[in-house]
Amino acid sequence: MIRLDNASYSYTNGSGISNINLTIGDDEFAFIIGPTGSGKTTLLRMVYMDLLPQVGKVVVDEFDSKIIKSRKIPFLRRKIGMVFQDYHLLDDRNLFDNIALSLHVLGWAKDEIVDRVTESLEEVGLDGKDDRYPEELSGGEQQRACIARALVKDPDIILADEPTGNLDPVTSFELIKLLEEVNREGTTIIMASHDYNLIKGRGHRIIEIQDGSVRQS
Amino acid sequence: MDKMMFLLSEGVKNLWRHKLTAFTAIFSIFLTLSVAGSLMIVGQNTNKIIEYLRGKYKIEVFFNENVSDKQIASVVEEFNKINGVRSTTLISKTDAGKIFKSQFGENILDIVGYNPLPASCVVNVVQYQIEKMNIMPIVERIKSYPEVDEVQYQGRLIYRIETYYQKFVKIMTVLLILILIISVFIISNTVRLTIIAKKELIQALQLIGATRSFVKAPFVIEGVFHGLIGAILASALLIVGLEIGSGITDSVIKLKIQYSPFILVGILSSLSVVISFLGSSRAISKFLK
Ligand SMILES: Nc1ncnc2c1ncn2[C@@H]1O[C@H](COP(=O)(O)OP(=O)(O)OP(=O)(O)O)[C@@H](O)[C@H]1O
Ligand SMILES: [Mg+2]
Repeated sequence: MIRLDNASYSYTNGSGISNINLTIGDDEFAFIIGPTGSGKTTLLRMVYMDLLPQVGKVVVDEFDSKIIKSRKIPFLRRKIGMVFQDYHLLDDRNLFDNIALSLHVLGWAKDEIVDRVTESLEEVGLDGKDDRYPEELSGGEQQRACIARALVKDPDIILADEPTGNLDPVTSFELIKLLEEVNREGTTIIMASHDYNLIKGRGHRIIEIQDGSVRQS
Repeated sequence: MDKMMFLLSEGVKNLWRHKLTAFTAIFSIFLTLSVAGSLMIVGQNTNKIIEYLRGKYKIEVFFNENVSDKQIASVVEEFNKINGVRSTTLISKTDAGKIFKSQFGENILDIVGYNPLPASCVVNVVQYQIEKMNIMPIVERIKSYPEVDEVQYQGRLIYRIETYYQKFVKIMTVLLILILIISVFIISNTVRLTIIAKKELIQALQLIGATRSFVKAPFVIEGVFHGLIGAILASALLIVGLEIGSGITDSVIKLKIQYSPFILVGILSSLSVVISFLGSSRAISKFLK
């Protein structure tokens, strides 16, 4: 469960988000929508405790931003898969190694890693491309690779920030469907987007954010 | 286990990926260790010289005329217990007479009718000690015995030798520490370059939930590899240099340069590991904070 209690964060220049109260249950697929600059990314960064609220608090499962020690934050992040626009694949290693990295961090054994990475590449339809370098993949393939990277460790939560950023409508739609499937298997999904058309009418919760405040519907 | 292998291979791969920084780091470690190694060899050989000189330091003690041989023997026994005394050699009145005869070819009794030579004792001081050797306390202790008539020693000369030696030890220590500190900074700056080049990887690792030590490990391993390669090169240079140098001094002044290649390699590689560990840890810690 993810809970924000009156959480506020303001950057040194004064912008940011304020007084956010929000609870997202384990089985939810929640969209955060709002115009550019409204605070979507800031909100997501608070969830994985890249930013700690200056007022109020964020609680993710047993992790509480008020009392968490900085050396415990990695353990929160191990439960979270992230699909961020500026979280590119690393171009010094191939697709397989990019995705395997998360599992190395978790301390998995080598052959388990091979099996699991192959499996998650299949899930996103990138099987057989595991020795390609990021520059040898199309934009859409890279995006799917990012999803595979988030999925590979079977996270409790997926945070996706504009994951459809530079994808055509068809591919974007497929990506949403993929995430929905992951959600059905029990992963909480929070996805930020400013493309309302992409998400309307799919029966998911929509959290609207404007000028750093939430307007729930 | 697999995690260790992963970190190790990341460290080694980094070595390849950053050839230029690797070269700079290895070269600077090579230079500092060559200088540090030379200083150590000079220091070691100077120590040999000071030990030789100290072997020559002598305190000659002359006893009063009326003291019995037995008393003298027990006093000399006491001398042996004084801090800083290595050994003593007792020369009785009869021994002194024999020495006179062997040197002058005549019996002293025949010349003056009795033996005027006093019993004496030569006190040798310890040779192995880094600190300044001060013989004054020893002399004072010896003088405090009523059986002792006179003490002779080359106080001024010893003082001078020891003072120079002490200055030398101080300068060498300061130089060595300075060189090591400078090299930690050089390493930390070169490693910083590789870290900046790896910013994306570090950020990715932090997003995935890597602990600080996991993020640090490949950089530190890479740094330690730089260090070891630098140390091997520096050792090779020094050993070749020393072999040639020793050959020359041997043929010119019949004196070989004292050093042990194993100890040299051992010291240089452990130094390099410490330097590069400190340097790379410093760089990556600064970046992560
Ligand atoms: N690192 C930062 N330093 C200072 N201000 C920032 C920083 N990041 C974001 N901001 C500001 O905080 C506000 C919210 O930014 P945020 O990135 O959360 O918006 P967003 O909703 O994600 O926008 P977009 O749809 O364009 O991604 C904006 O006014 C932005 O200019
Ligand atoms: Mg954003």
